[in-house]
Amino acid sequence: MSTTSETLAPRRGRRRIDGWRWAGRVFLLLMIIYTAAPMAWMLLTSIKSGFAAMQFPPQWWPEEPTLASYAKLLDPQNSVGADFLRFFWNSLFVSTMTTILAVVVAVPAAYAFSRFSFPGRKFLFFAVLLRNMFPAVIFLVPLFILMRVLGLVNTHGSLILTYLTFGLPLAIWLLKGFYDNIPVQLEQAARIDGATRFQAFLLIVMPLSVPGIIATAIYSFIAAWNEYIYAYTFLSKNDQLTLPVGIQRFFSENTTDFPGLMAASFLMSVPVVVLFLVLQRYFVRALTEGAVKH
Amino acid sequence: MTTASGRAEPSRTSKPAEPGALRLIWQHRVDYAYVLPSIVVMMIVIAYPIYYTIDLSFFKTPPSLQLRDKIFVGMENYGAILQSDVFWRVTWNTVVWTVASTVIAFALGFGAALALHRDFIGRGVLRAILIIPWVISAVAASYIWKWIYHSDFGVIGAVLVELGITSRPPNFIDNVNTVLPALIVVNIWREFPFAMIMLMAGLQTVPDQLLRAAKVDGANAWQRFWHVTFPHLRNVSTVTILLLAVANFNSFIIPWIMTGGGPSNASHIWITHIYELAFGRQRWGVASAYSVLLFLILMTLGYFYVRALGGNESKDRGT
Repeated sequence: MSTTSETLAPRRGRRRIDGWRWAGRVFLLLMIIYTAAPMAWMLLTSIKSGFAAMQFPPQWWPEEPTLASYAKLLDPQNSVGADFLRFFWNSLFVSTMTTILAVVVAVPAAYAFSRFSFPGRKFLFFAVLLRNMFPAVIFLVPLFILMRVLGLVNTHGSLILTYLTFGLPLAIWLLKGFYDNIPVQLEQAARIDGATRFQAFLLIVMPLSVPGIIATAIYSFIAAWNEYIYAYTFLSKNDQLTLPVGIQRFFSENTTDFPGLMAASFLMSVPVVVLFLVLQRYFVRALTEGAVKH
Repeated sequence: MTTASGRAEPSRTSKPAEPGALRLIWQHRVDYAYVLPSIVVMMIVIAYPIYYTIDLSFFKTPPSLQLRDKIFVGMENYGAILQSDVFWRVTWNTVVWTVASTVIAFALGFGAALALHRDFIGRGVLRAILIIPWVISAVAASYIWKWIYHSDFGVIGAVLVELGITSRPPNFIDNVNTVLPALIVVNIWREFPFAMIMLMAGLQTVPDQLLRAAKVDGANAWQRFWHVTFPHLRNVSTVTILLLAVANFNSFIIPWIMTGGGPSNASHIWITHIYELAFGRQRWGVASAYSVLLFLILMTLGYFYVRALGGNESKDRGT
């Protein structure tokens, strides 16, 4: 009697867990379809000819796949290709400069917020976080005027300065999470051995915070690469545009070239997606470090 | 007695703290050097614009005039906003957009995090695929979905016709009733991975012993989730929902690129409306007044945001 009830109980439990597990699998499958189907359709459209894309019912699988759209976008001889490569280079330049500056400025600030207890520290930190609350639109007009005063309108400098400011709050927050997890005793040991505070920071803490710096750099790069409103407002010369604005201009001139548009969207996504996939370990950890603490 | 003395103590110490505070600041002057670069950059690019926006909201700026020839009109801009029909339409859209996007993105992210919590083959690949929409540019996402929703050649319309649900492909974007839900689907597509990442990390902090103890005590899967897992995720959930709400409230790119606020304002939300007022119709004064109202709403949200984050911080100190 007792043995049968014992064998029954776990079986019933297992069956119920299986129910949840199946619900989870079905849910995951639906989410994967929701996530991946649009991206798959982007890729399939990008290898169709303009004529093949505009059919009803659509060619579910391209009958005559062609890389013509990609060839056109990546050919510097072609006017479309020359523009696209120009925009690509502009985006790369602005994002890289923003990333370097953001790390240089955010590292000392995050370290200070993590370690020192100077008066006003808490207030400053929340002021930094509050920045996240304000929409870009509030800053557009006054910033545009400010950039005109500084003589930065239609330069990449205006974008770099703006992205730097708007990226800093989160960069500092991410890095602070990392510094909080590096034991203070390491620095104290170094100080006892005669290092100055700055030497301890540079030689002991910096090397340990490399993962955090990588994560912050990826974040800054992706945010700058994808930014649209400021680039749309500050830049008007065609040879200075970054990719998001450039693609919009491309589309407004070729309203029916969907394969070209999809190819451009794909090429624009490649750098950030690759960067993210290669380094996602650091990135995911950093993002959650601030909000989830043990 | 005890409460009185307890209350008196801080005030006694705070009196001599006045000169002490200055000395403290002086003693810590080197510490400020670490923070100074950030503060200087932010003062220039943030404090000045906020001041300028508030100032401009009390002026009228006819399109023919230069900005410096503005005319002082007091609270007139605010009155005009509250009386216009568009304001209420746009406010309603913003509420629907923010609440629906935040709640659904959070729910889907939560579900995905739970489903991915258990280790299985291919888990890393699935996680990576689910995160990609969050990484790619909102501009690219807008164009991909614009093509998917296309009124003649859109893939969703084609699928619906193939399945025999409709005879003609529906037009989601140019329909006043469907445009906002259609855009919310795109927004959620980009945002749920963020909730997923945050909650996956949160799930890792739930102690295994507690779950096992609950199992030994006979709690079923739902009871274990509700009484053990969920309470542990309260902090992460608060932060995630607030961050999502703020991001949704401030979103611009998806409605702007996909519809520009149309048809007949059906997909205008606050930010796109402000942008159109300022850069489209050159009504800087009204746009600034809008921004100030927005600012006030966000400050209210920000109060809860800081309290949620501050709660986290003080708890960390305690342990």
